[in-house]
Amino acid sequence: MRKTLSIICAFCCSLGLFPSCSGIECPVENRVYTLYQGADTLRDTLTVFTHRADGTDTILLNQASYVVSFELPISYQAPVDTLFFRFHRAAVTDTVYVAKTNEPHFESVDCNAAFFHTLQSVTFTRHAIAGLTINNPAVNYEVSSPHFHIQFR
Amino acid sequence: MKSPRLISTYSFGSCRRALLLVCVALLCCTAASAQGFFRYQRDSIPFFRGFSVSVDMVGLVRMQLSDYGQYEGALRLNLHDQYFPIFEMGYGRANHEDDEVTGFTYKTQAPYFRIGADVNIMKRKHTGNRVFIGFRYAFTSYKVDIDCRPFADPYWKWSTHFRAHDVACSQQWAELLFGLDGRVWGPLHLGWSARYRIRVSHDDGSIGKTWYVPGFGTQDSSALDATFNVSIDI
Repeated sequence: MRKTLSIICAFCCSLGLFPSCSGIECPVENRVYTLYQGADTLRDTLTVFTHRADGTDTILLNQASYVVSFELPISYQAPVDTLFFRFHRAAVTDTVYVAKTNEPHFESVDCNAAFFHTLQSVTFTRHAIAGLTINNPAVNYEVSSPHFHIQFR
Repeated sequence: MKSPRLISTYSFGSCRRALLLVCVALLCCTAASAQGFFRYQRDSIPFFRGFSVSVDMVGLVRMQLSDYGQYEGALRLNLHDQYFPIFEMGYGRANHEDDEVTGFTYKTQAPYFRIGADVNIMKRKHTGNRVFIGFRYAFTSYKVDIDCRPFADPYWKWSTHFRAHDVACSQQWAELLFGLDGRVWGPLHLGWSARYRIRVSHDDGSIGKTWYVPGFGTQDSSALDATFNVSIDI
């Protein structure tokens, strides 16, 4: 009988300990964004904005100047993102179309939903942008190299 | 590709490591006091001593108290009260609905199988009470359904839907265990085991990761687990 009681006590102890070990493990680097790398320093002031679902504009990059690289968000589920690059000094606006796939990404029920993307193509107007090419098509938590190489006139 | 760093919050800071150390210490102490426990003990007791069937109560209780758990049974051979080849089969289920923070619903249910053996390391092996060390090799193939309540894209403000159904996944893992088993009355035994689980291979489908794996538990919890077995000798 004493042995049985010992086993039951040990079981109760183990039940008390094990659930306490549950944890939440979400990636620290949990932003999904695109990185644009310039060929040289931007000598204008650049604002990037886009159109929201309700028709209003939202600024994605506010008056950046003398930068070599910059980050821009990427939409969760649109097949093509339309971005407007406004160059203040030159007073021109270029439109950039980024075509991409949207893959849902799950980590755990405790972590927020995310979408990973594969960049398919990029087209743009050429008022102040001289060149824009895809360098790294994989857009996810890892930014090992710039996604775009951009050149300005 | 470098794997992303993970942030973990534990209600018991380093309990995973502590429990592992306790198990290893227990194992070492017992092993030291039972020299030659792997060696076949020659005596007049016959080699084949019968079968036993058992059910695990921990998975059952967990199923009732939380949103995941398993029903599990086992068939074990008794070879000379010393070696115990075992086959364990269970049915794991998770039904985590509409997480209050992230809005995720995660559902899966599938059978799983384990095969392995226990060795009774007690010096007097025929008393009916046993101290085990053992190993298992386990496998499961399962499908998951993941939904998330619609949420707004933070910049574009479009309503976003996250849905992945019938995502085929599989996993193989190994378990090292330490357990006790005591005869309570006649053929009835009660026992528990502490298990350290090591994932050997896994296919999480196309959605990134899975959360609950039938028979293995949640991916983000401790590698340690416990079973409480009620078994009957046949």
